Amino acid sequence: MMDSRSALLEMRDVSVTVRGAGGEVPVLREVALEVRRGELVGVVGETGAGKSFTARAVLGLLPHGARRISGSVVFDGTELDTPRAYANLRGTRMGFVPQNPRLSLDPVFTVGSQLVAVIRRGRRMSRTHARKRGVALLTGLGVHEPERVMRSYAHQLSGGLCQRVCIAIALANDPELVIADEPTTGLDVTVQRQILDLLRSQLVRDGRGGLLITHDLGVIATWCDRVAVMYAGRVVAIGPVADVLREGHPYAHGLKGIAVALEQGVEPVAIPGTVPTPGDQIEGCAFAPRCAVATDLCRADDPAPRPYGDQLVRCHHPVADAELPAVGHPTRSEEVEV
Amino acid sequence: MSAGQTSRQSPVLELHRLRKTFKVGRGPKARKVRAVDDVSLTLDKGTTLAVVGESGSGKTTLARLAMSLLPPDDGDILLNGRNLTGLSPRALARFRPSMQMVFQDPFDSLAPWHTAEQIVGSSLHLRRDLGPAERRRLVVEVLERVGLPQRFLSRYPHELSGGQAQRVGIARAIVTRPSLVVLDEPTSALDMSVQAQILALLHELQNEEQLSYLFISHDLAVVRYLADRTAVMRRGQMVEVGDTAKIFDRPENDYTRELVEASPRVTAAPAGRQPDRARADGVSHRVRKAL
Repeated sequence: MMDSRSALLEMRDVSVTVRGAGGEVPVLREVALEVRRGELVGVVGETGAGKSFTARAVLGLLPHGARRISGSVVFDGTELDTPRAYANLRGTRMGFVPQNPRLSLDPVFTVGSQLVAVIRRGRRMSRTHARKRGVALLTGLGVHEPERVMRSYAHQLSGGLCQRVCIAIALANDPELVIADEPTTGLDVTVQRQILDLLRSQLVRDGRGGLLITHDLGVIATWCDRVAVMYAGRVVAIGPVADVLREGHPYAHGLKGIAVALEQGVEPVAIPGTVPTPGDQIEGCAFAPRCAVATDLCRADDPAPRPYGDQLVRCHHPVADAELPAVGHPTRSEEVEV
Repeated sequence: MSAGQTSRQSPVLELHRLRKTFKVGRGPKARKVRAVDDVSLTLDKGTTLAVVGESGSGKTTLARLAMSLLPPDDGDILLNGRNLTGLSPRALARFRPSMQMVFQDPFDSLAPWHTAEQIVGSSLHLRRDLGPAERRRLVVEVLERVGLPQRFLSRYPHELSGGQAQRVGIARAIVTRPSLVVLDEPTSALDMSVQAQILALLHELQNEEQLSYLFISHDLAVVRYLADRTAVMRRGQMVEVGDTAKIFDRPENDYTRELVEASPRVTAAPAGRQPDRARADGVSHRVRKAL
């Protein structure tokens, strides 16, 4: 009871559909996750898993044609059920780093004026002061010529710089919650590291929190406290990063196996088949057709979330660490030497 | 032992002291950027040479030079021992079938109004000796090699998944039996689970056909798996080249070390922070209760 106050964001069984050719297509199915104060939660999944819809459902920014059909989003104890509930939240207490930075910036204003506008929306401040703060934010994000960037239009900047401008806008008013949708896609690894280190250090102090959406397990392992693994519109596993990556859902384990194999330079064991697209007919567990341990039960019955160690997994046959087969084949260099 | 023999053959590709400078900007602000600055590399038959570096390091320019799509300002490009530098486009056309490329985004690089058969068949248009039936047979054969059965022949790119589209891109590249295949970030636009399938395919094709890959990437994990040798570029210069395992485990150059350390890994303990076990445990209790 007491510690429920520590939840900054709670999504309770949120389902979202989009209007498609053949009627309403589910894109999020009973998504449940929470972000507590002082933690960075990762959301990982492949194309069509519902990562971006999760971000947009939290922000109340679902695209045209999409609607939340059930579930609730609670931010700091307040249910966000109407557009009015979001007033004075986005841009101030909630920051958002969108996936496509250049398209998200207005092409007819300099990026500096957009950054200044957001800063002044959060606090009373002169333009000059807001501009100084903007420059400071950009400097903190590793931008070398912040003054020049402030004077530029989005099309004059590289993707990496647009990305950092968007991050600066998200962080402008010290939001309590930052939702970042693939914030470092297309950035170089050294810049990625700098930005995620900064994002993490800003969010895990003072009772703030973040939701980091990515397809990169390495990013999750390096910067997140907990992770939600999404597949076909569902959160199939959620828990502390180390636990989720160690054992539990076969899909999470398969992805981790691929990442580990590549890192060690050995042949990865591919997950056969492809990810389902929204609108595909799904019976039973959505991962069953690609799963090595699936049984008839999996093909008939969609598993409900159940505790597994410190995680919650949607799986009839979660795999324990010890049962997992050794990952990969001999390295290529070994083959050559034989 | 077999490895020793292959390395004694003449290299498929030799880049010798290549330079390429671009002029950026106009008027008084104009300046020169050395995109490729005195780079020499060799690629042996049946092996993979990776070129890694951050954006702007010159790796794509290097790929375009290697493909003779750009003339170098200085230096030589040798394909199977034959110097291609300074050849006219017409003279180069003869060598085009033996240099092929696989692109980053399969949907961007496949013509949306062509079927898989037309896309792959287009690589064979320089083969005047082939009749329609023979050409079709080659296309069917190569699509099967990359894991696409005959029913895919009439598919358009939008009817393919990302992985399938990239298989078509690979088929288009290898149907001419090229000696050099330039892979420009071939898996970075693909989903994780599909990425592994495509890497396995590239590896398998290399073993069977003795293909030689020049592999452009910024994803060090993928490089570690596929590449025999790795070259690290920075600001147009090659800062280090060597066996992939050595580059990763015992980098000599500071920049290489920085690059290797900055790339996020699932296996390594996070560099910037220590996992906070106590808090993680408290958290998990809450999750269970919340749901």
